[in-house]
Amino acid sequence: MPFFDDLWFETRIIARSLGDALGGRGLRLGVTGLSRAGKTVFVTSLVHNLVAGGRLPVLRVVAEGRMGRAILKPQPDDAVPRFSYEEHLAALTGEDRHWPESTRRISELRLTIEFERANGWSSGKSSLTVDIVDYPGEWLLDLPLLGKDYAQFARETVAASAAPGRAALAGQWRDTLAADDPDAEADEERARISARAFADYLRASRADRYALSTLPPGRFLMPGDLDGSPALTFAPLRLKDGAPIRPGSQAALMARRYEAYKAHVVRPFFADHFARLDRQVVLVDALAALNSGPEAVRDLERALGDVLSAFRVGARSSLATLFRPRIDRILFAATKADHLHHTSHDRLEAILRLLAGRAIGRAEGLGAEIDVVALAAVRATREAEVKHGRETLPAIVGVPMAGETVGGETFDGEAEAAIFPGELPADPKRALDGEALALGDGEADWRFVKFRPPVYAKGEFGPVPAPQIRLDRALQFLIGDRLA
Amino acid sequence: MSDAAPPRPRAFRLAPATDPAGAPRLEGGASIAPETFDPFAKEAEAALDPDEARVERAQAQGMASKRRFSLAAVFWTASGLLVSLAAGLWIDRIVEDLFSRSRALGAVGLALAAIALAALAGLVAREARAVLRQRGIARLHAGLAAARAADDGRAARVLVAELAGLYAHRPETASARAELARLQGEIVDGRDLIDLAERTLVAPLDRRARAEIAAAARRVSAFTTLAPRAALDVIFVAAQAIRLVRRIAEIYGGRPGALGLLRIGRSALAHLAVTGGVAAGDTILQQVLGHGIAARISAKLGEGVLNGLLTTRLGLSAMAVCRPAPYAAIAPPGVTDVAPFLLKGWKAAGEQKDVG
Repeated sequence: MPFFDDLWFETRIIARSLGDALGGRGLRLGVTGLSRAGKTVFVTSLVHNLVAGGRLPVLRVVAEGRMGRAILKPQPDDAVPRFSYEEHLAALTGEDRHWPESTRRISELRLTIEFERANGWSSGKSSLTVDIVDYPGEWLLDLPLLGKDYAQFARETVAASAAPGRAALAGQWRDTLAADDPDAEADEERARISARAFADYLRASRADRYALSTLPPGRFLMPGDLDGSPALTFAPLRLKDGAPIRPGSQAALMARRYEAYKAHVVRPFFADHFARLDRQVVLVDALAALNSGPEAVRDLERALGDVLSAFRVGARSSLATLFRPRIDRILFAATKADHLHHTSHDRLEAILRLLAGRAIGRAEGLGAEIDVVALAAVRATREAEVKHGRETLPAIVGVPMAGETVGGETFDGEAEAAIFPGELPADPKRALDGEALALGDGEADWRFVKFRPPVYAKGEFGPVPAPQIRLDRALQFLIGDRLA
Repeated sequence: MSDAAPPRPRAFRLAPATDPAGAPRLEGGASIAPETFDPFAKEAEAALDPDEARVERAQAQGMASKRRFSLAAVFWTASGLLVSLAAGLWIDRIVEDLFSRSRALGAVGLALAAIALAALAGLVAREARAVLRQRGIARLHAGLAAARAADDGRAARVLVAELAGLYAHRPETASARAELARLQGEIVDGRDLIDLAERTLVAPLDRRARAEIAAAARRVSAFTTLAPRAALDVIFVAAQAIRLVRRIAEIYGGRPGALGLLRIGRSALAHLAVTGGVAAGDTILQQVLGHGIAARISAKLGEGVLNGLLTTRLGLSAMAVCRPAPYAAIAPPGVTDVAPFLLKGWKAAGEQKDVG
């Protein structure tokens, strides 16, 4: 009964919004990005800087001396895991300093910021409650599925797997696909085999070497507690155009499970989390894509466009839009900006602007403000100039992670080195030119090395926040207006 | 140069430091120079200029002030309405009395009352337009400052077009406007576009405003020195100050009426109050006053120069708040730039006294 489903779905969203509206003037900040974009580090550093009073000169409330203190509050949503800030901070600042584990599921953290209001007739002491919701960007790719039926989903996924960049990776799954007959009797074993082959293909395209972004369904990569359940045991089949799906056939089984996936995975996420966000930051690891090659960069552009189309979902649904809180600011941030010299940051931002351009164009009608910034939530390097022969190269100095290679040197994770990562093109379009994918060391004009976290200074009350790059500007854009 | 292959990515290992305080060394014959300044701190500074913040706060207190609840406002609104009612009643009485004497007189009275009412409505509309225009300028100022700090090309294009529109009726800005219109379509950084607009479009207005301030300062100091009565120069200085603020607002595209002028005056005074302390740090002034020369020369001349300085400071504050673009490419002028003769006068007087 899709009609009642829809009605129930809308009612729940409206009830939630009303509850939020009556419950106080909090702000829900969504943090997302495709995996390895640096979400966990971003949230950890953001909270650390606010709680421990890090240097955030561009955040007006700090610059104007109106900032009181920020404290962590008990997590309000009982069914959502808490963002384990303390563990992640310990990972960063511990003896064996390493980047914290990545986001595998949704998590939330409540932070209360006390400050003095500067204007408005309610001047004086005030506080703002910020709920930071951290969730995998792959889940956003699922949201457009709400508007698609199984036949459309299958057609698009099969078509995408034939693209030149993916064809090689999808080979095995495409073999399984060819062997599947959508019109055959429903068979659980066949369904499991195709689902596994499909999931393997999705996983393979995410590997570091290719750095392709993901296709929906996003939960195939991070199944969590739904692993093995029917809602996650389906795969696209090669359907005949226009032919109806015969009841009892394999295709009918897949279609039912696809609907179940939408009902049990996608909709709850949309209603309980996504529709309640006020501000959103989308973190993008452009450097990994640039490392891999132009094909990966183009793929990232497509994924960003898809992610942004998620922000449109539900925009045309009738009544709910009246009550639904809207995301009114979206920030696109190229993370890990400390992995290249500051003279290249403008070029990195230009590339990100180009990548997100289509997405920004789409968001235009949403009435959301959009900004683009290159940032580093934790700055792991410092800058220097290296004179070698007659050349002077702008370089960054840090400890590269074990196994990283550049210019024929391989690092062990202990030695410090000055790295010249190459120059990004002045014309951002050049980063998208070409067919190359999974380039090795020495094949591209640039090579970005991953660095270990910096050594944190120990202060009186635990580690002192490490320097950051433009985290304060991002914060000013995301929450600064509510701290005026 | 541009055709040469770009340098390849490379790594240089840092030799383990033998001396922790010593400079780092590189293996393989290259040398390394650590960055001496923090580029990101500089950027943060540019994004949050304290002078600019002061100007915007001052604007928010006067020209761009939002309506907000206050007891004073309620009192004035209620009293104003009461007075209007009283005036209405009074006019009604007069017209009635006139009618009771003769129909013709009554008709004349009624017509006069109608004309007065229409004129009043016109005045109010003009005032409202002037206030809105001034608020628009303040908003443009804040928008340009924000777009410049964020280097936002899209916002910069919109705002610069708006800025050019503000001066569309002034023939002397034609070439600057044409140049900016040409750049709108080209690939120019937001920051560069705003800087260019300031240099080409606003700088000529700055020159006029500065000349206006200098003239006012000269008049005030001369009149104070020569005026026979203290009361007279108070009136003169106040009148000159009002005139100066009005002229500056007009130069930058505002058309203040009485209420608008009041608001600009409030902003200018708010700005003067926060920057006054900085101005007292003007080295020459400090030196002069510090040495107590003021006491040694003619009291009247001293008063004249002080009044002149005050007028200049007020003019500079009015300039800062009325200017539709923030000071960025052009450094904000100080007293020495605008009215150097005042300080020279001090010095010359001091030297004369020393010699004599």
